[in-house]
Amino acid sequence: MNQLALKSLSKSYGAFKVFDGLDLSADAGEIVVIFGGSGTGKTILLRLIAGVEEPTSGLIELDGMDVADVAPEHRNVGMAFQNFALFPHMSAMENIATPLQARGKAAAAVQAGVAKVAKLLKIDHVLGHAPRELSNGQKQRTALARALAAEPRILLLDDPLRNVDAKLRFEMRLELPRLLRQTGATVLYVTQDYKEAMALADRIAVLAGGKFVQVATPEDIYMRPATLSVARLFGDPAINTAETKVEANGSAVHVTLGGVKVAISSTHGGLAGRAVTFAVRPEAVMIQTGKATGLAATVMAVTPFNERTVLLLQSEGGWEFLASLPSSSPDIPEPGTTVMASFDPPGTHLFDLNTGVRLHG
Amino acid sequence: MAELVISKLDKIYRPSRKAPVHAVQALDLTVKSGEIVALLGSSGCGKTSTLRMIAGFEDVSAGSITIAGKPVHDLAPSARGVAMAFEAYSLYPPLTIGENMAFALKAAKLGSAETDAKVKAMAEMLEISAILNKYPVSVSGGQQQRASLGRALVRKADLYLLDEPMGQLEPQLRAILRGRIKHYLREHQCTTILVTHDQTEANALADRIAVKEGGLLQQYATPAELKARPANLFTGTFVGEPPMNVFDADVKADGKQVSFTIGGGNVLSYPASEFPAGLRGILARHPKLAIGIRPHALHLGDGPLKGRVTACQWLGDQTHVAVDVGGRTAVSVAHDRVTASAGSEMALSVAASDLHLFDPATGKAIAHGGEPA
Repeated sequence: MNQLALKSLSKSYGAFKVFDGLDLSADAGEIVVIFGGSGTGKTILLRLIAGVEEPTSGLIELDGMDVADVAPEHRNVGMAFQNFALFPHMSAMENIATPLQARGKAAAAVQAGVAKVAKLLKIDHVLGHAPRELSNGQKQRTALARALAAEPRILLLDDPLRNVDAKLRFEMRLELPRLLRQTGATVLYVTQDYKEAMALADRIAVLAGGKFVQVATPEDIYMRPATLSVARLFGDPAINTAETKVEANGSAVHVTLGGVKVAISSTHGGLAGRAVTFAVRPEAVMIQTGKATGLAATVMAVTPFNERTVLLLQSEGGWEFLASLPSSSPDIPEPGTTVMASFDPPGTHLFDLNTGVRLHG
Repeated sequence: MAELVISKLDKIYRPSRKAPVHAVQALDLTVKSGEIVALLGSSGCGKTSTLRMIAGFEDVSAGSITIAGKPVHDLAPSARGVAMAFEAYSLYPPLTIGENMAFALKAAKLGSAETDAKVKAMAEMLEISAILNKYPVSVSGGQQQRASLGRALVRKADLYLLDEPMGQLEPQLRAILRGRIKHYLREHQCTTILVTHDQTEANALADRIAVKEGGLLQQYATPAELKARPANLFTGTFVGEPPMNVFDADVKADGKQVSFTIGGGNVLSYPASEFPAGLRGILARHPKLAIGIRPHALHLGDGPLKGRVTACQWLGDQTHVAVDVGGRTAVSVAHDRVTASAGSEMALSVAASDLHLFDPATGKAIAHGGEPA
């Protein structure tokens, strides 16, 4: 049975529709990431599930039961926020204890519960500190500990790594999945960082324009994005695009990139005549120098990008695109070099020019 | 374009009833004509104070700043020939985005046709053509930041100062704008100083990076040098994402082999021939070292290091695998997709040529890839 189900869930403030008709279900212990830009309603969705706001219409079911009439404190839900929201006048320990005390646990049980999560999150040594004495990382761990303390069935995490620095965010990204699995809770995790979403999620629900545009595994989202907007949200550098038309000449199929015809897989023959957005992931752009075939392009700039190197390329016809190579690749071309670019089919997609929907065949 | 020379520069803030803060200490830095230099460091490292002294918004406590051989540290900001993009954008609210960008060109008595052409080209490069007639308040933070950057770059100046110029940019635009801006700065041979806390940004744009920490310059080198030959543990772990793995090691070096014991019974052993005699002598005097290994140099699947996988995260174009080796987390980056389930055993290897050795007490580099630092 689903631990959590949203059925046609809608929320409006007056005439302003935040989202409309959301459907989502999560199995017990599943980590579902709600991914979307700012202002898409991700936080409001969590607040509806927590019970601190009411939906305009639709159902929220926890353990198969409609919880419309269940008060927040009886929903068995834990929540952590991006700004930590710790009580400033309480120590870390007192903060973590609040959900246990709210549930009327005896002092010994409260103490045992706090000790357990504090150990899990490696903050046992700062339990006596006030929030202002904690580093950002410790604050964030304290906020997580508080959310976990009462062993909720559902854990709602609202962009918990947003306000910590890059190094800590990276460490926590590696550590969180195991930690969350250990709790056994069903997790809804809100983020705007696609790497966090890919790293943590069993499934990702992409929220845009008040709808879930795609709900799928990280692999499906990245390799088979439902729409151009989903394709653009996942990946850094973002996917390259060009508006063009599919044309076929016998069994040869091509698109036109900056005025130059470029062959694509003949499996796209069925789309001949269709106006499309051609899209290729930067890591699927393959670069060769010398006597190679492909799209001739000039290297405009070489920008190292962590373990990879990004090339800004401009084709003969003026199409600008990026290629991303491992920094350890031999022969990374210098600016000004002419290279031949070709496109690896698994990272190449066609989307309908008007609707943005991914085209098959 | 012009050369910038900073010599023995000091900045001491003396807040009333508080201890003085020595924000910049005896900084020597030369930026060659047409070079792009990044001042990289976390908040409080003195990078913004340095930039503000160059621009003329702060007095220097001691030392000198020259641009094209001319001392400028006593000149008014407007007399220094410097164009600046501010972290907080600082656009003129009553002017449109286009007017903001044209402002300095008009002040320099450039003809309106030429001004329009320059603004138009810059707006296209920064993807703000559609908002040139809008006012700053009505556009997003990312757009304001691009406008502020455009306003600085469109000018003709001896020196360009960019303070956290890309921090607010929309993620989908960041990579392509980095490429375009780098190309533009090169084409126009702009001498540029970029201040940032983001090592990714610094590596992407700069010819050389000045790494600052605690008011002191830690290292001044090209991005490639910083990766291959970090001067100390701070630079080694600050530059690079995922960060360099660091292990404490017990060292044994003799005529036959060099070995590093890093806990949990894990020993990295190499034939002595991989280390020149001079370095073996140095190692013999350092029974304890910190070893740094870049994530891409830690190879999965075979080797002397044994551990259990704690995380395996595929991000589309790379996989990050974390392995618990003797109680420490080691991170490996692979450029293809790796599947390894949490809890499974994993062996790891690293070539002698990929080892960075540091003095654990001072943090100073001792050797990189088998060569003394």
